[in-house]
Amino acid sequence: MTQSELISGRAIQDGVSSSPLDRLTERLTRRVAGHSSRRSVLGRLGAWATFGAIVPLLPVERASAATPTKKDDKATAKAPSPFAAKAQTTDPTACDYWRYCAIDGFLCASCGGGVHSCPPGTRPSPTSWIGTCFNPRDGQSYLVAYRDCCGQDACSQPPCLGTDGDQPSYRPQANNDIIWCFGTGALVYNCSTSVIVGNAS
Amino acid sequence: MRFLSRKLAGMTALLLAGAALTPCGKALADDPVLQTEESDIIKLSPVTPHRILVQDPVGHHAKDGRVYVVDADQGKLLGMVQAAYNGNVVQDPKGRAFYVGETVWSRGNRGDRADLLATYDPQTLEITNDEVLPGRALVTPKKNDLTISHDGGRVYVYDMVPTNAVHVVDTATHKVAINVGLPGCALTYPWGNAGFTSICADGSLANVSIGADKADITHTKPFFDPEKDAVFEHSPSHSEDGKTYFISYSGLVYPATLSAHTVIDKPWSIQEAAGMKAATNADSPFTVTWRPGGWQLAALHYASGHLYVAMHQGTFWTHKVAGSEIWELDVATHKLLRRIKLPKPSSMVGVTQDANPLLFTDDEAGDFFIWDLKSGKIVHTMKHLGDDLYFTVALGE
Repeated sequence: MTQSELISGRAIQDGVSSSPLDRLTERLTRRVAGHSSRRSVLGRLGAWATFGAIVPLLPVERASAATPTKKDDKATAKAPSPFAAKAQTTDPTACDYWRYCAIDGFLCASCGGGVHSCPPGTRPSPTSWIGTCFNPRDGQSYLVAYRDCCGQDACSQPPCLGTDGDQPSYRPQANNDIIWCFGTGALVYNCSTSVIVGNAS
Repeated sequence: MRFLSRKLAGMTALLLAGAALTPCGKALADDPVLQTEESDIIKLSPVTPHRILVQDPVGHHAKDGRVYVVDADQGKLLGMVQAAYNGNVVQDPKGRAFYVGETVWSRGNRGDRADLLATYDPQTLEITNDEVLPGRALVTPKKNDLTISHDGGRVYVYDMVPTNAVHVVDTATHKVAINVGLPGCALTYPWGNAGFTSICADGSLANVSIGADKADITHTKPFFDPEKDAVFEHSPSHSEDGKTYFISYSGLVYPATLSAHTVIDKPWSIQEAAGMKAATNADSPFTVTWRPGGWQLAALHYASGHLYVAMHQGTFWTHKVAGSEIWELDVATHKLLRRIKLPKPSSMVGVTQDANPLLFTDDEAGDFFIWDLKSGKIVHTMKHLGDDLYFTVALGE
């Protein structure tokens, strides 16, 4: 017998309740237990109460999934910034790609890398600053780490500048002017990635 | 008839040929034979109020950053020096030297790192001292990452590794006199000869008084909310008296007198100075109105108290958008004096400190525009002075 069983057994055996409310609750519980079974109407009522509430939601969810235009409208209405309101979700080589709401520099996706991948010959910085970008496709905001790829000089494809939430360098955790190549050897900046590191909604 | 016309044509040809040959022959006879030459080097005159430095980090190949020396009276490039990898430049207030902070690696993009503070002779553009620094912050250049005391005796170098710090360089000995640790704070705004103020992450200021072997630091209370309406790094400041005008993203101007006991006055609105409604902050980011923006987005003419701000129309979070106009404001009366429409949007506005000030703007193509402030007209356009013109440095700043 475990310690908890000992304690609960003692409580039942002693029949000791410290307050009138406790005694009333105990009597009610014993009465319900003595006059019902697992197949009783009480169980059925509980099931309806639990699952019945979900039933009205199902068609709504299906309808919204089948009409993406309406959902996009809803998402646009929630866009928290002017950049987010115009952002697209399909072309990561364009500056208006949703994750680039606060990027500053050359897109690794246009430099031989990808949205979260460094081009060959470079290394990702283990440090970065964090932005919060809104994805109009799912209506969610995400934490995005703008990790620089380092070791070669600037990739020099057309640059992009997003400034949502960008703060001056006295707020380094929210500044896109700093060369975020700490810990990569030479702090030579090549391009910028946008790595999702969490949901911010 | 046909014979006559042919004869006339022949005579005309002879006359024309003669006319063409005679001056040439005379010039050849008068010109002396060219003499042999020696290679030499131009030496510039001492710095004048209208000889400026223009910083260009060349973002597309940042290891090749440079500083241009420009005669703004003539719109002429006088020379340039290297300012490698997000380099920075500051000038002695009396023009006796200028200092370039730069970073190089022993094998180009790899090898041993060296952070340097090169001292330049402003007339020969030769390095007179090349000091190795403990480090410096690698960040797209901002003027307040490298500043100088009012008497030129100390250069302040902002650093971020391993923690936020300022290296105080004695310009007489060319040695780091003291390192000031400033966790949570950044940049330097010098006041007088023995101190500077930094902006801290919580919206407060840290005032640093430099002693012989230590620094004393006092803090102000937070006076702005960095998440809702941060103040620009390129807020103009005057080292002689510590008068500084912190300009917020929305366009609020916080007048401050920096010292060990900094005083910050109530803010006033640039838009209200122009008879408009004050602009919204991050709480209402979609509101379109005139807002300050750019890189070196503001400049102050100390003697007149006229503040020049690059303004554009946009929503909040457009604080790096180039200005389509320069607004001239009086910091004493909080009134708009003039709106200067620009031919091309400019990320910068610079001003000289003399009685006949010149104003400087740029464009995306790297053209450099020199304005006469009295007439409000462009007097020189330097086509493609550089790739990324970020800021100007004029005598007396």
